[in-house]
Amino acid sequence: MQTRTVGLLAKQVWRNTVKNRSTIWLFGVFNLLLLCALLSGYQYMHSQQLLALENSEEVRERWVNNPDKHPHRMAHYGYVAFRQKYPLSFFDFGMDSYVGNVIFLEAHRQNTVNFSAASLSNGLLRLGEISAGMVLQLLVPLLLFFWGFSLVASEREKGTLKIVLIQNVSAVELIAGRALGLFYLSTVVFLPTAIIGGILLGLSDLGLTSIGLYGRFILLLIAYVFYFGLLSWLAVLISAYSSSSRASLIRLIGCWLFFTLMLPKVSQLVGQTLYPAPTKIEFDTAVEEELIQHGDSHNPNDPHFQALKDSLLRAYGVESPQELPFNYSGYVMREGEKLSAETYQRHQENLVGIYQKQQQVVRLTAMLNPYLAIKNLSMAFSGTDYSAFKDFQEQTETYRYTLAQTMNELQIQHISNKVESSADKKAIISRQHWEDLPDFQHQFLSLGQVIRQESISIISLMVWGLGLFLVTNRFAQHLKAF
Amino acid sequence: MTRLLLKNFVRAKGLMLGLLLLFIAGCISLYIGHRFIEQNKETVEQSAHFQQENIERYVEYNQSSIGTLLYYLRFGLVHQAPHLVGLAIGQRDINPSVISVNIRNLEEQKYTSALMNPMYQLLGNMDFSFVLLYFFPLIIIAFCYNLVSEEKEEGIWDMILSQTAQPLQMLSIKLGIRFASVMGVLLLLLTLAGLGLNIPLDKAFVSFCLVAIVYVVFWFCLTCLVISFHLSSSQNALVLLLSWISLTLILPASVHALSTYLYPIPEAYGTVLESRDGYHTQWDKPKEPTIAQFHAQYPQFSSYNHPSDQEFSWLWYFAMQQMGDQHAANDAKVLAEKLRARGAFSQAMGWVIPTIHTQLSLNSLSQSDLLHHLHFLEALEDFHEDKRLYFYPKIFENAAVAEEDWSDFGLAFHQKPLEISGAQTVLPPLLASFLLLFLARMNWRMKMFIEKN
Repeated sequence: MQTRTVGLLAKQVWRNTVKNRSTIWLFGVFNLLLLCALLSGYQYMHSQQLLALENSEEVRERWVNNPDKHPHRMAHYGYVAFRQKYPLSFFDFGMDSYVGNVIFLEAHRQNTVNFSAASLSNGLLRLGEISAGMVLQLLVPLLLFFWGFSLVASEREKGTLKIVLIQNVSAVELIAGRALGLFYLSTVVFLPTAIIGGILLGLSDLGLTSIGLYGRFILLLIAYVFYFGLLSWLAVLISAYSSSSRASLIRLIGCWLFFTLMLPKVSQLVGQTLYPAPTKIEFDTAVEEELIQHGDSHNPNDPHFQALKDSLLRAYGVESPQELPFNYSGYVMREGEKLSAETYQRHQENLVGIYQKQQQVVRLTAMLNPYLAIKNLSMAFSGTDYSAFKDFQEQTETYRYTLAQTMNELQIQHISNKVESSADKKAIISRQHWEDLPDFQHQFLSLGQVIRQESISIISLMVWGLGLFLVTNRFAQHLKAF
Repeated sequence: MTRLLLKNFVRAKGLMLGLLLLFIAGCISLYIGHRFIEQNKETVEQSAHFQQENIERYVEYNQSSIGTLLYYLRFGLVHQAPHLVGLAIGQRDINPSVISVNIRNLEEQKYTSALMNPMYQLLGNMDFSFVLLYFFPLIIIAFCYNLVSEEKEEGIWDMILSQTAQPLQMLSIKLGIRFASVMGVLLLLLTLAGLGLNIPLDKAFVSFCLVAIVYVVFWFCLTCLVISFHLSSSQNALVLLLSWISLTLILPASVHALSTYLYPIPEAYGTVLESRDGYHTQWDKPKEPTIAQFHAQYPQFSSYNHPSDQEFSWLWYFAMQQMGDQHAANDAKVLAEKLRARGAFSQAMGWVIPTIHTQLSLNSLSQSDLLHHLHFLEALEDFHEDKRLYFYPKIFENAAVAEEDWSDFGLAFHQKPLEISGAQTVLPPLLASFLLLFLARMNWRMKMFIEKN
């Protein structure tokens, strides 16, 4: 394959397309759309992040300023955690709008993460959101197909294909050249976005600059470049394969509709049918029932806690729990919290497992669907995918557990066993202890974790590249010149 | 001529395939709707069952104190959905359709979310409204974009002009056939929906059908306008496809982004922080003011008082809980107001953007929109208040647990009576259609005039 020929063919595509007045318009419209998407996305991320930070500070302040009191009251007072926005989330909203933002963390209870953007919006959100990611994944392919559908087919219709082919240009060179030309065109839309995105990323001084932020951005850009390369190639290949440019246009638009509108929705239906997930009430009831079996600390006659009491009394050689050298009810609560947290954790893991299996069905169709592959990859790099949310949820549960158990420990150590109620003067400990509990800090996943999570999507894009290469090689021998 | 054009249409393989695809997509969407209704039913049945079990269990453990018992007991309110929801699932897969609450502070329980795989919420449901909004226009575009231009490009147009005095009539028949075929599929799907999903033929369903029909009419009118410009086939296709993208993707998304920008809701977080502090800080304060406030809110309970020789009483406890709701009341009110404002803003944009209007109307008719959910939350407030008022005197008197017939406390149901704002349901897209059609006719006359001279 001669690179000079390929370059020449590519340049020709560029020149012919740019000559067209509608191309300039399309460049303008798409760049404007992307610019708006980036700026509004950045504004939204920024305001949400500030809101979350302000509220987090408020929560901390209120926690620390609680007066001296019984630690169990603090365990119930609890904490409120806010999901932080990953600084790249302005680029691709992903699932961000569909997952909750705030969670109340208290002893004994695992609450849901509430107030997702979706729960605060009306039906319009379901028609899609504009972010740079959406435009690049969904609309730019359509643009490439529009520029690319006639690249080989119309030359055949006009009879110029013969002339090109007899000038010692191989079919592979022809396809590669045209695809490269089409790819050049995509950079006019993509490059400004990449640059502005990078600038905004540099501006986003939200006190969150984590290691790997720029690495993630660069990988994100590489993924998109690869995606556009694939699509350019696909468009030219289909154009070369089609008998007329009209047939080629219909095929390409059909592909687009099938991959972006039909397949994702159908695959989610299949996933849901194969792996049914429990509803909230089912989930809660299952956790509750198992807890009762293990030991219900609220039931005074529960055998598990009865046995615990008996063994404690025996070990310390005392008659009643009040004579124990430590706070008995704190001890029971520590045990209860441990049991309930473990039980909840198991059910939660099971639920997440079901969700992940459901998502795996969607992910597997990404093998057939480059749109879903880039969508998953882009979400993951932008920190707006499911694993980012799952990670947040796990961090909050860990924090909740630590908070509850720290308060229980304080109760066991510092509260006299003789006090009758939590309002008793002897049942109060210094507020210094509240300050000793560290603030909740939402940490983001590392780059390595993200890449591991999304290996299927990366492989899928590679497989597509390889597949197109093989098909081209095979097909090139049969390229019809007329 | 009509007969020949009809023959021509039926023999075109691509067109028949298009209709078939549309029909299949419609059938899949009906299946999805059916599934959703069944799941919803199952959730309600489960909730009823679990609630009963739950109450029985707690009643058994807490015979001695009705206060302790009601600390735990939860009562569910169901946001009932008409069967029409199977056609437009709307926000129903995001907002829970059953909320169970205890009689403690409501704000902490009101906004609880359902368990859902967010990936599915992101990808969305392929319900009937989706097929209508996205697939029908595409088929209409594919059917009509080259009606005139292809004849021109194949050189038939001049023959037609020379043979008929009224080319517009021929075009009208061609359009009419296409319109009738697409409308046929739509009506067939709606009939199947009515039968398959057991949707009663009431005012809501009829309005729903009207909205769907007007939406299809709108797209035909838009297509007419575009082809009346006598552009080439590929230019027509480009213009129509761009209109489709703008109307179904870009404009709704922009309006959504604009509505969140114009009406930010920091109060949502406020409800969480305020209700938490409103209640918990009471523990550290003297009891008298808390109880005085409770008495001010409920004079009918002023005869009950906190026994001065005791540290704890349920009266005090629930008075503290009440403070949580009171502290968050303002934020909660603003939150609801802003959500309504967001809704009203999108509704207003619907007057100029038919896709938005159609989606919102369909959601509203199938009671799956934000406004219906807000109404449900209001009903939940009343429901919660009723439970409080019913149980408070019993708790304060420490009535015997056994006296109450606990099997009476099944699920309660809420459904907003249907309100159809007559003209607004179909008027905006209908006006747009007339306008487009009028322009198309004018344009056509002008083009023909130029061509003849």
